[in-house]
Amino acid sequence: MTGKDIYKIWAPVGKRWVDWVRPVPFIGINGHITKQTFSNGALPIVDFVDDSYKDAAIIVDLPGVESVKAGIALAQMGYRPIPVYNGTMQQQGARATVDNHIVQEGLIWGAGELAKLEIADDALPVFLLDSNRMHRFKMEISLFDNSWDLYPQDIPSAEYMLEQGIHRIIIMGNAVSKDLKKILYKFQRKNIQVLWTNGYETPKKIKICRPFDLDKD
Amino acid sequence: MRLVPIPQDKYDEYRLTLMFDCYKWDPQFMDSNTVAKYALVITQEEHEELVRLTESLDEETRTAEVFLNQHLEITKPLALPKKVSREIRKMTNYEPDRHVRLMRYDFHPTVEGTWAVSEVNSDVPGGFAEASLMPQAVLELLEDETYWYKSFGDILVKAISDKVVRGGRIMLVHCTSYSDDRQVMQYLGDRLQAEGFQVIYGAADHVNFKENQAYSILDGNEGSLDAIFRFTPLEWLTEIRPKRWQGYFDTTTVSCNHPIAIYAQTKRFPLVWDVLEQNGISMATWRELLPDTIEVKAAKDKEGYIYKPACGRVGEKISIKEACKDDEYKKILADVRRHPKKYLAQKRFISKPLIGEQGEEFHVCLGSYTVDGSHAGYYARISGTPRIDSNAADIPVLIERQGC
Repeated sequence: MTGKDIYKIWAPVGKRWVDWVRPVPFIGINGHITKQTFSNGALPIVDFVDDSYKDAAIIVDLPGVESVKAGIALAQMGYRPIPVYNGTMQQQGARATVDNHIVQEGLIWGAGELAKLEIADDALPVFLLDSNRMHRFKMEISLFDNSWDLYPQDIPSAEYMLEQGIHRIIIMGNAVSKDLKKILYKFQRKNIQVLWTNGYETPKKIKICRPFDLDKD
Repeated sequence: MRLVPIPQDKYDEYRLTLMFDCYKWDPQFMDSNTVAKYALVITQEEHEELVRLTESLDEETRTAEVFLNQHLEITKPLALPKKVSREIRKMTNYEPDRHVRLMRYDFHPTVEGTWAVSEVNSDVPGGFAEASLMPQAVLELLEDETYWYKSFGDILVKAISDKVVRGGRIMLVHCTSYSDDRQVMQYLGDRLQAEGFQVIYGAADHVNFKENQAYSILDGNEGSLDAIFRFTPLEWLTEIRPKRWQGYFDTTTVSCNHPIAIYAQTKRFPLVWDVLEQNGISMATWRELLPDTIEVKAAKDKEGYIYKPACGRVGEKISIKEACKDDEYKKILADVRRHPKKYLAQKRFISKPLIGEQGEEFHVCLGSYTVDGSHAGYYARISGTPRIDSNAADIPVLIERQGC
């Protein structure tokens, strides 16, 4: 399967939310990964969602493949996983700040799992993020910085979410990252409630304070 | 000039082809699909007129920037960032023929039936693959021999090949954290690699300089460089710490673009035209095409002027009221009041929209490239609003053969 074939499984034409699937990690699949090395497909148990969250989108912000696995677990519960990974590959021969290859491997594996599922047209979205994306500390200036941020343009606007009946966003992760705070602070101002869970506990409502560098990007 | 729809049943596959075969890695911007459902067709006559105007603008721009570089005392109205102003004094060794000069002029059709130019992307114009592979992809769909296109990529790669030693090492300098930048660099890199060059993808701080020669310090890719292709804007470059970027200004390594580009990149460029003309440099084509541009304070009691940031890119912070969302318009005006020297006032032109299949209106920004003074193809965007910004859709440009 090519990167394009795998992309088409994650982003089937005409389905809701799939326009936001970023093609970036899929592009490199043709050239860089010929053999699937990712084999541990054990899925996490996601039991924090139930019918009371029918107006909530989820953002999974976990390290590398863990986020893909959580996305597949939620897909099995009826959600539409939307990978928004946006990291590029490093220059050949250079050490990089982030391992973006691992996400590619996860996406290849995930495509196999997704292909087995029938996801409803009106499924709620779960946006998948690699929490390692903001590792940009360079021990040496010579390292290749392929860290990345999520920007407002990478996901639907608050207005679009509201139009689709989304009034709450649940962040599933170890913490609320800096880039998400910038985006969700503005969502919050448009009356979208933000909740957070570590994946085990019931999502709790949180209040995001105005980030000091909000309009700097 | 007209819009030709892409057959509806072929559009989804076309969009996928652009993503996977044509380096279009950003097909969605927030709620906007950035792949137009049309091709933009210009007549041979329009093409020839645009070639003439573009090359004439380019001649004036290149003459002006060389003159400004030799007469820094007249550059004050440009209000260049301080860090840049300090370094441009070093550019005394600038030799135009040594480097590759790439620019893109943004044309707009107006209701008067003329062209208006909104700006020149003098420093780091983008849209390379969109101007090279997108027209090819749409031609294959339309299966119509009436149309042809000019491949920007072919022209740029040839210009680089003419100036860089065969098999040389070229660093493609960009913000490595941005996939949007990488897609532009990856297209160029793959083309250059196919020509036998050694391509290195790196960031601005991966280039150091010794005796005016650039060399790479990128991990595992250290060593001398034969060329630098820079896609990091100059004003971002000067924010990098530690300060090693000053070498870009006086390097003799082949550069595209050399920082000489800054004089025309600032949207305040028109504020030095009077002085240029007093010194015998014609800005006639610019005068004909660019709407009246004045200092913010001079526009205080004038009707029909908009504000533009001097260092603005992709239509950001332009005060076109109906194109602003939420409190954006209010914020722009507040910023203009606080920093008038960082803005300019420009007479607003009325863009003539093209009409789509369902009667919808699309405003057009037709970017026309030059490489070393010669016309080098087109990159166009269309938008439902007169401000062409990041929400606009990329559209391939085709030229209709004469007599068809």
